[in-house]
Amino acid sequence: MQSTYSGGVFSDTLADGRAGGEVELMPAGIAIRCPDGEFFVIPYRECQVEMGGYHGRMLFCRNPDRSLTIYSEDAQFRRDLSLAAAGMLDEQLAMGNRQRRSESRRSLFYAVAFVAATLVVVVAGYFAVRSGAKAAVLALPTSVDAKIGDAAMQSMTLEGPQVEDPVIVDAMQSIVDRLEPQAAVEGFQFKVHVVDSPMVNAFALPGGNIVVYTGLIRSATSAEQVAAVLAHEMAHVTLRHGLQRAGQSLGIWAGMSLLIGDVSGLMGAGVDLFQTASANQYSRQHENEADREGVRMLQAADIDPAAMTQLFAAINKEQGDLPEIFAWISTHPDDASRIAQVEALIQKLPPRDYRPIDVDWAAVQTQLSDLPANQPPGD
Amino acid sequence: MQAEIHDRPSFANIRVHLEPGEEIVAEADAMASMSSSIEMKTQWSGGFVNGILKRLFGGESMFVNRFSTPSGGDIVLTQAFPGDIQCLELNGNTMFLQPGAFIACESGVKLGLGWAGLRMFIAREGLFRLKVSGKGRIWFGAYGGIFQREIDSEYIVDTGHLVAYEPTIGIRVAMAGGLFSSFFSGEGLVTRVSGPGRIYMQSRSFDGLAAWTNSHLY
Repeated sequence: MQSTYSGGVFSDTLADGRAGGEVELMPAGIAIRCPDGEFFVIPYRECQVEMGGYHGRMLFCRNPDRSLTIYSEDAQFRRDLSLAAAGMLDEQLAMGNRQRRSESRRSLFYAVAFVAATLVVVVAGYFAVRSGAKAAVLALPTSVDAKIGDAAMQSMTLEGPQVEDPVIVDAMQSIVDRLEPQAAVEGFQFKVHVVDSPMVNAFALPGGNIVVYTGLIRSATSAEQVAAVLAHEMAHVTLRHGLQRAGQSLGIWAGMSLLIGDVSGLMGAGVDLFQTASANQYSRQHENEADREGVRMLQAADIDPAAMTQLFAAINKEQGDLPEIFAWISTHPDDASRIAQVEALIQKLPPRDYRPIDVDWAAVQTQLSDLPANQPPGD
Repeated sequence: MQAEIHDRPSFANIRVHLEPGEEIVAEADAMASMSSSIEMKTQWSGGFVNGILKRLFGGESMFVNRFSTPSGGDIVLTQAFPGDIQCLELNGNTMFLQPGAFIACESGVKLGLGWAGLRMFIAREGLFRLKVSGKGRIWFGAYGGIFQREIDSEYIVDTGHLVAYEPTIGIRVAMAGGLFSSFFSGEGLVTRVSGPGRIYMQSRSFDGLAAWTNSHLY
């Protein structure tokens, strides 16, 4: 049997009513010796045993009028006390143990319930924010899109110089003008910016600014193929995907800080997020929506939507040679399944007399190869 | 060593007179002014690892300063926020302090860091707590006034108000009332403390201040 156990004592005779000390199990009873030499004893037969303390593992031995309490948290003390008291305290000890076990079961239950409730709130909050963001964005006036898009356009670094050549720019704008009456939402001013860069890419900003890289125009074999890309990008604008994305990220951020409890940084973060998220990649769901809406716009404008899959296929074929540049496919995710989806859409369309786009595509291509960037140096 | 707490309770500070050979250990940055005869020695708070743990989890600094003097002198110690300071004499017993509460102690006091557990985290009291034990006086501070209470059966404290408690105190986190009143009374979660033992509470809470300030920002 261990001789002493670290513990403490409460007694009105002590200076502050308490002291630490070494607990001993003596033949006469439970005793404690304090650093200043005070000594207390509670005879075993007068002892009232209780469990408690911060961890619920502390054993309190109190005298009948509760003016003296000796305690220790030593696990060995509990076992040794039963022996030293010759079984006199076993009933009380067993009751304390039962109480402790039921309390620890209860706190385990509450802990599990707390964690589960937090999880439910987080998951439910996430989905609420996602759908809430969409509804909130759609309720905003379209002028908000234009303001944000124009600001983003100005602060953006593009991959190359803007092309001002009237043949190319006018060709792009005339395609957009033909598609514009079919836009699902009125009030957007579509404006095409052609940027000289080998990247096969195009993207739309909220409000109607569309950027097309010359690399994409070059790899298109007909005006209809570019029209397909532009219809897709215009669909992003009319469906307001850019703002929805920004709203979602902002909403998730807001939800997070609501959970953590700090909302002070919300305003600053919001401004940043609107700028970056609007130009970022769209989600797979948004891409599919834009494909569907693009095909609808092409059909309504009497342009053959099959051009969309033709361009996909052409880019896919070339992608093997020059993977990195073909960004329209890679930032606009997917491949075979996406082509299949668009093809399935087209199949279901009623037959229609398609009118060719009134653009001299050969002239556009000639102008493209005459751009300054394509001239050999020193020429 | 003579020590008095002045300017209570709002802007309390400890004025200590050290006789030759005496020393006092204080939280880094607690010294506001001192006689030129006092020497300061900086050391890791309870050793290198312990010091870093205290910094990361205990809301205290990595270092403590040990002030001593060969010829006697005065020193004024204080805390960063407005509020009362309490002196407590340890007589071999142990006390738990909330993170950030510790200010100073006599050299016979041992400082340690203890895991407080998830329930204290839920009660917004921090995952860790400072454990002070040994023999000697310690000084700790709080935001607002400090009041103490001897607990024998059960008592309820709002979360964020508990500053110090003895290890004999049992603590459970509970809802303030039923589900409805817990959420709408503004009390939310509370801590149910059970005795025997003594607890120290602060009359204001930092969470309360933060929430109040936040509501006035925009």
